[in-house]
Amino acid sequence: MINDKVSQKIVDIIQNYARKHSLWVLAYGTGCGAIEIPPTMTSRYDAERLGVRGAATPRQADVLLITGYLTTKTLKRVIRVYEQMQDPKYVIGFGSCTINGGMYFDSYNTIKALDRYLPVDVYINGCMPRPEAVLEGFAKLQELIQAGKADGSKKYKENLEWYRANQKEVIPVWRMPEFNW
Amino acid sequence: MEELKKKITQKITDHFADAAVKKYEGNRVDFTVKKETIPAILFFLKDEMGYNHLSHISCVDWLEEKEFELIYIVWSYTDHLKVFVHTRVDRENAVMDNIDMIWRQANTYEREIKEMYGIHFEGLEAPEEFLLEDWEDMPPMRRDFDTHAYARKTFWDRQEARSDAQDVRETITKRTGEEIPDVAKKYSR
Amino acid sequence: MMEEILHYTWGAVVSFVLAFSVGITFMGLNRKVTARVQNRIGPPWYQNFIDVVKLYSKKSAIHHGTMHHLGPAFLMVSSVMSLLIIPILNDGKFFPNLNFQGDLIFLIYIMTFGPLGMALGAGQTGNPNSAIGVTRGLAQMAGFEIPWVMALVALMIQYKTTSIVDLMNIQAETGRWLMFSSPFAFIAAIMAMFGMFRYAPFDIVGAPAELASGPMSENGGKYLFTMMSSGSVFAFAKLTLYADLFLGGADNLPELVAKTFVLYMIPVLYGVVNPRYRTEQAVRWFWGWPSFFGLLAILQASFF
Repeated sequence: MINDKVSQKIVDIIQNYARKHSLWVLAYGTGCGAIEIPPTMTSRYDAERLGVRGAATPRQADVLLITGYLTTKTLKRVIRVYEQMQDPKYVIGFGSCTINGGMYFDSYNTIKALDRYLPVDVYINGCMPRPEAVLEGFAKLQELIQAGKADGSKKYKENLEWYRANQKEVIPVWRMPEFNW
Repeated sequence: MEELKKKITQKITDHFADAAVKKYEGNRVDFTVKKETIPAILFFLKDEMGYNHLSHISCVDWLEEKEFELIYIVWSYTDHLKVFVHTRVDRENAVMDNIDMIWRQANTYEREIKEMYGIHFEGLEAPEEFLLEDWEDMPPMRRDFDTHAYARKTFWDRQEARSDAQDVRETITKRTGEEIPDVAKKYSR
Repeated sequence: MMEEILHYTWGAVVSFVLAFSVGITFMGLNRKVTARVQNRIGPPWYQNFIDVVKLYSKKSAIHHGTMHHLGPAFLMVSSVMSLLIIPILNDGKFFPNLNFQGDLIFLIYIMTFGPLGMALGAGQTGNPNSAIGVTRGLAQMAGFEIPWVMALVALMIQYKTTSIVDLMNIQAETGRWLMFSSPFAFIAAIMAMFGMFRYAPFDIVGAPAELASGPMSENGGKYLFTMMSSGSVFAFAKLTLYADLFLGGADNLPELVAKTFVLYMIPVLYGVVNPRYRTEQAVRWFWGWPSFFGLLAILQASFF
């Protein structure tokens, strides 16, 4: 194959076009914001026009939606799910609990800033965001994919020690398998 | 409804000498007993008076009086009357009898109270971790556990607000011309 | 000799490209029709092409051993073999294929070979969802194979031949489609088609809400690309087989696409308004009315 810049650019354009128009969302509602996902996917605010579809397992999914607060118990499982997904993968944080703790800012059990434990691409603010806001969030993710800037998975692989140190600080008993990338 | 309340009050005070009654309006009657009579009074309510539904077991932390208060809520399908049974338990050595031979679902309520408040129930089976995972601190629902300090220590501390942050109520009232009521002015920045 | 081999290879490649594009378009049209029935705008009709390109461009491929890696390849082999046997157009000039006497029986075998290979691959992952999904899929296959084989056996008895090309020639000679000459076989075969396509109400095998999508639950990226492509090629092969056997084949490509589209709409439109059957309900349904029509077809073929 010819490996110069022009053909690489053409391949990138085709790949980004395909990736942004077919986002498969993992059907996993981690917090109370998962109640806004069914209205977005069904008849009134149709998200399937953008190619967004529900996927059953992490091996088939592209996007992980963290909808709302994450307790430390759920964080352990979400990290395991995130590491099972295949590259390239994106994380969208819903609601104000992922940004700065939100309504549960003084709770002993929920994490306050999602960006320290998982690499986040797009935040959607609100408590909970309406389906129109969710669709705008997907449109913003599509813009980022087209510009080639949605590289959360690369950031995770490069700064793995920093993320692991933060995660182990909150989860005292660490019993997770080793994954192949 | 009034005859039913009078009937149940009469029956309970006849059988149990240390029951103090407090009546409320509507379909609710409260009794306060010592903690040793709890299994007996609950058996009596279930078998002879027909109150065979346990709605909840609730717990209140009286920090100043150094006691926990346990409240057992039972309901009768025939009389449509709620009966609340209160007891007080000592806060230092909190030990209580286990009632899950009367209703099986009391197991779940007692496990939650054991984990969140630290009351030890005798003979409670399966007392493993239920809601919290790998928790080594003091039981978190007690009032002398400072949860905000714990959150600031373990997790990330929320930064100060921006200097140009606006209160959304002021913005809206400037647009519509209303007034913020005095009660709400206390919470403005 | 060399020229013949080149001719056949060229024919295989062109058939595969045609089956792939038409199959993927039909899957996209399925999503569009479902969306319109549910009163919303659905994805565009070329959506499945975009899905397939996205699955191909995934960067990592995680597998659990050799058999799991080869699982989707078995599916692809089965689909391509079925495609090569079925005549696409009436004259074998532009799409040559490998027909011989007795290829109808060979086809029945090849069509069941794919899911069995997939089951071996899914078994190596150790995921209990895959194992349960695979057993459900094979149990359902035992269900719909009965009316399907009964319909084909009725055709073989009635016209005393086991070759697809002979059956097409009979339709060309008498001028009547086999749909009208052996109607019970047609009805039994259409009822068996619901089980083959695995749309509702028989989609308990691969549905995402049940059982984390069954046999496909550990495959992602390029494996899923192979499975989707082989699914679309297989769907086109089955539809072409039905068009050849019962609707008189096709003389040119637009006629073939029109006939397969009409046949394809039958499971789609039936599936859009139906909930799901459990496995035992599905098998019990297949051994009820469809087998009855298959029995009638065999009786009609032997005695009339």
